[in-house]
Amino acid sequence: MSDFEPKVVAFVCNWCTYAGADLTGTSRIKYASNVKIIRFPCTGRIDFMLLLKAFANGADGIIVSGCHPNDCHYTSGNFHAKRRWIMFKELMDFMGVDMNRITFSWVSAAEGAKWADVVNTTVTRLREMGPYVSYRDLVNKSVEEEVKNE
Amino acid sequence: MNNLIARAKELLENKIVQVIVGYEAGPTGVARPAFITNPAKADLLIYDERCVQNLAVYLTKPEVRNLGKMAIVATLPVMRSIMMLISEQQIFADNIIVLGVSSDGSLLDIADIKVMQAYIEKSDLGNPVKDRALLVELNKLSKEERFAYWQKELSKCIKCYACRQACPLCYCTRCTVEVNQPQWIPVQSNTHGNMEWHILRAMHLAGRCISCGECGRACPVGIPCHLLTMQLADEVHNYFKVYAGTSEKMSSVLSTFEPNDKESFII
Amino acid sequence: MARIGVFVCHCGENISATVDCGKVAETIGKLKHVAYSTDYKYMCSDPGQTIIKDAIKEHNLTGVVVSACSPRMHEPTFRKACAEGGLNPFLCEMANLREHCSWVHEKNDLTTEKAIDIVRSQVEKVKLNSALQPIKVPVTRTALVIGGGIAGIQSALDIANCGHKVVMVERSPSIGGHMSQLSETFPTLDCSQCILTPRMVEVAQHPNITLYTYAEIESVEGFIGNFKVKIRKKAKSLDEKICTGCGLCTTKCPQKKIPNEFEQGMGMRPAIYIPFPQAVPNRPVIDREHCTYYIKGKCKVCEIVCPTKAIRFDQPDEILELEIGAIVVSTGFDIKHADFFPEYGYGKYKDIIDGLQFERLASASGPTTGAILRPSDGQVPKNIVFIACAGSRDPAKGIAYCSKICCMYTAKHAMLYKHKVHEGKAHVFYMDIRSGGKNYDEFVRRAIEEDHVNYIRGRVSTIYERDGKLIVKGVDTLLGAQPVEIVADMVVLATAGIASSGAEELAQKLHVSYDSHKFFAEAHPKLKPVETNTAGIFLAGACQNPKDIPDTVSQASGAAVKVAALFSQSELTREPLVAAVNRSGPPMYSTCVGCFLCQSVCPYQAIEREDFKTRDGKIIKTVAKINEGLCQGCGTCVALCRSKSIDLQGYSNNQVYAEVVALLNEY
Repeated sequence: MSDFEPKVVAFVCNWCTYAGADLTGTSRIKYASNVKIIRFPCTGRIDFMLLLKAFANGADGIIVSGCHPNDCHYTSGNFHAKRRWIMFKELMDFMGVDMNRITFSWVSAAEGAKWADVVNTTVTRLREMGPYVSYRDLVNKSVEEEVKNE
Repeated sequence: MNNLIARAKELLENKIVQVIVGYEAGPTGVARPAFITNPAKADLLIYDERCVQNLAVYLTKPEVRNLGKMAIVATLPVMRSIMMLISEQQIFADNIIVLGVSSDGSLLDIADIKVMQAYIEKSDLGNPVKDRALLVELNKLSKEERFAYWQKELSKCIKCYACRQACPLCYCTRCTVEVNQPQWIPVQSNTHGNMEWHILRAMHLAGRCISCGECGRACPVGIPCHLLTMQLADEVHNYFKVYAGTSEKMSSVLSTFEPNDKESFII
Repeated sequence: MARIGVFVCHCGENISATVDCGKVAETIGKLKHVAYSTDYKYMCSDPGQTIIKDAIKEHNLTGVVVSACSPRMHEPTFRKACAEGGLNPFLCEMANLREHCSWVHEKNDLTTEKAIDIVRSQVEKVKLNSALQPIKVPVTRTALVIGGGIAGIQSALDIANCGHKVVMVERSPSIGGHMSQLSETFPTLDCSQCILTPRMVEVAQHPNITLYTYAEIESVEGFIGNFKVKIRKKAKSLDEKICTGCGLCTTKCPQKKIPNEFEQGMGMRPAIYIPFPQAVPNRPVIDREHCTYYIKGKCKVCEIVCPTKAIRFDQPDEILELEIGAIVVSTGFDIKHADFFPEYGYGKYKDIIDGLQFERLASASGPTTGAILRPSDGQVPKNIVFIACAGSRDPAKGIAYCSKICCMYTAKHAMLYKHKVHEGKAHVFYMDIRSGGKNYDEFVRRAIEEDHVNYIRGRVSTIYERDGKLIVKGVDTLLGAQPVEIVADMVVLATAGIASSGAEELAQKLHVSYDSHKFFAEAHPKLKPVETNTAGIFLAGACQNPKDIPDTVSQASGAAVKVAALFSQSELTREPLVAAVNRSGPPMYSTCVGCFLCQSVCPYQAIEREDFKTRDGKIIKTVAKINEGLCQGCGTCVALCRSKSIDLQGYSNNQVYAEVVALLNEY
């Protein structure tokens, strides 16, 4: 398991975390290259289905990050996102999907160092957890089911 | 029940409504929905322990709407569904007469929405007792066991969407599953896609589910899919201290917020 | 068929030091639909941009991915380059290889692989981009200023002097606001009215300004550049065109016992009144609530004495409908009154007054013509106590914030008292002295050092009356919390500044946010302190939070510039990255089912209702519709919509889905 490198997708808002990650870059703070960022205008735009699609397409972990409460560029998108994630997390927990594989964070445009930290702790944790075998098995099994049905 | 029939007759004869949505006994004795438009047929109406279906699902169906103004036999879940449908602008309070029935089968005097609201507010709004017990059992399991449990259950799903059709709040004329740009939910039935469908359905009902359990009853293969939405109904109450369907001006949990909403997982 | 061009920038060595740019360009070049792929040392340089422009023409590109720095840095640059190359600028996307890859990772294969993944996801995204046109919104070049205090006056004059029409609405009978009530102003001690009244007159006489006093906002609809505003002109009960403002009626009115608002209840006024001698407009109004004729049905003395026969008892309220392009909200503030304080006797002691009442006592035009006299017996107080932070910075009272102006005006009050009552003693209880501002701290020092005001750092726990004196009990925390008791003749509370009455209702009419104290909320606390979250509505002055005159005037001019900038063009151009609710032919019209849950998530009230009707006007279906003028493109409604009937330009469901898939799968 020691050479396992998790695939991580980060869903971030344009105004805080994306800008924060830009600052990580301009500050030349190094972090694990496992994370790839997708830019959204606001955390409010992030559909929970996209998180499921990331797992379905082989992600071992996910980061969702946006503006701190009260800092949203659109004033309230992150508050709506917060409620959405509360519900999503509870449902996933209830269905046995491993929520330790998703990091939710607030990273502002000034928190370049925090972004590196969020990525590194997430990647370290995922390295310990190993690949998301149970979800991948589910997806692979489902592909087989379909082949069988056809 | 005689009260119910008499009231139904009166409403139809005086042309206050054009249709009564209620229950009648089917040929095998099972209660089935009845759409009574003729006062002479009001005698067919029944209300007893067999009558469990959430009739509110018909309120948004064009075939029923086209019959005219309606009166509906309403148990507590039906009343809560009506509140949700009014708050989501799917029906108008003025177009509906509520023939409330209490849990012991007696006819309630629901003169207007305010009376209905008062009745709902003094009722037990938690999940049905037997489902509460099931939820407790499931929540005791480990994460892996729950994952296995739901995989086993959801592998049975044939994507017939009966759960959706039976739900009074799944009234969208186009469902996400019918969207193919992008194809959010795979068309075919397979365990993973089935799970995505049930996650989607539960999330769409988060803060809206009124715990009638109709989706689970409707499932032809016996998946307890109502537990998903009921678990979230519990969580909605835990986090936000609200029950769905208690007021006609209810704001939906996922389309509103409080700045001090508490969570413990965002770093 | 998509034909995508990919341009990988080395950024000197900023990217190429850790990412193998050649390999990125080569690998991406093999992808389906990538018609051209290249790398270059500086894509943003002129030659770099020329490569893009030439490639667009040469390879007939339908989309461009510039793989370089952050789009927050150079997206506008490359979109412009694409436009110059003949490609719709919204068909250009950027892959962030510098900030998000080369600068944060070591040089190795994984870093280059990540770069390839990033570029690939943008290629997949851009394939699904649509050519968008900037949204043009017409602008009505008339501004509405709500509130005629110094903030509104300054904004209105600045906008009017830019050559634009201004409508000013003031709910009281005269403009001037709280500033007109002040005696002198800190830190210069110049007379408030002397500097204010010329501005008031200028407003009244300015050819570009239309002034409606005794008027309120009835409703506001529409959006930036295109507001429709209804104004209720309350009946003044006289014909303003005929009235000469001679004031005879006000002297003859038999009803004279109405507490005078302008004097903060320290004096009386008749039922037909001009609020103060310098009022603008200088015409009386009849206070129907207190007028004997309206109460009892007879009197009409004013009508009898009026030399021009201007009185109109049956005059109705008038509703005006105006087309407005931008709105400045300058509704000011109120203060808490002494009855808010149980520890100070709930306002039952006549000689405990608030700061505004003291202003009127000190004012040469006030009820005592400037003499500091006790309200109870008209005696000159020998011992006066000022209490700062009365209510402010007191979470227990529900007012956690600092009212900002009190430290300064308390110093001013103590000074004014000392200047008028040389032998008197002035004491100030304070928590901290907050005197940040030009010449502010010097001003407070002057009160302490030159005018010998006794500053005591500590709170006052209670005040009670004994033998006609006020016993003020407090502590001096600089003397080890030693108890202090002062036998005072008069106490002045620097009470908390609070939101103006009716602020909440107005905010709701305007659809702008307000905080838990009902102060209007700015769009961004640092970078958009003048804007609200509703485009085209701006804030000036103390309606946002308590502030002093210089800050208010500065912000008012700031708001005016925002309006003038908006009015500098006849059309507004906006980025078309907005949401849209789908439409189709009958009988569906849209897949939207009209639950309108999206309305409550929208921070901008951009979601409207659209009815589809039969020819005879019967509504078939009501669905949501996005007002492009108001939508800011956050996309929260998109993620909420259960039937996926809303989508967001530039971040469509198709695009973000493709990005996720492309990031995780190699093709």
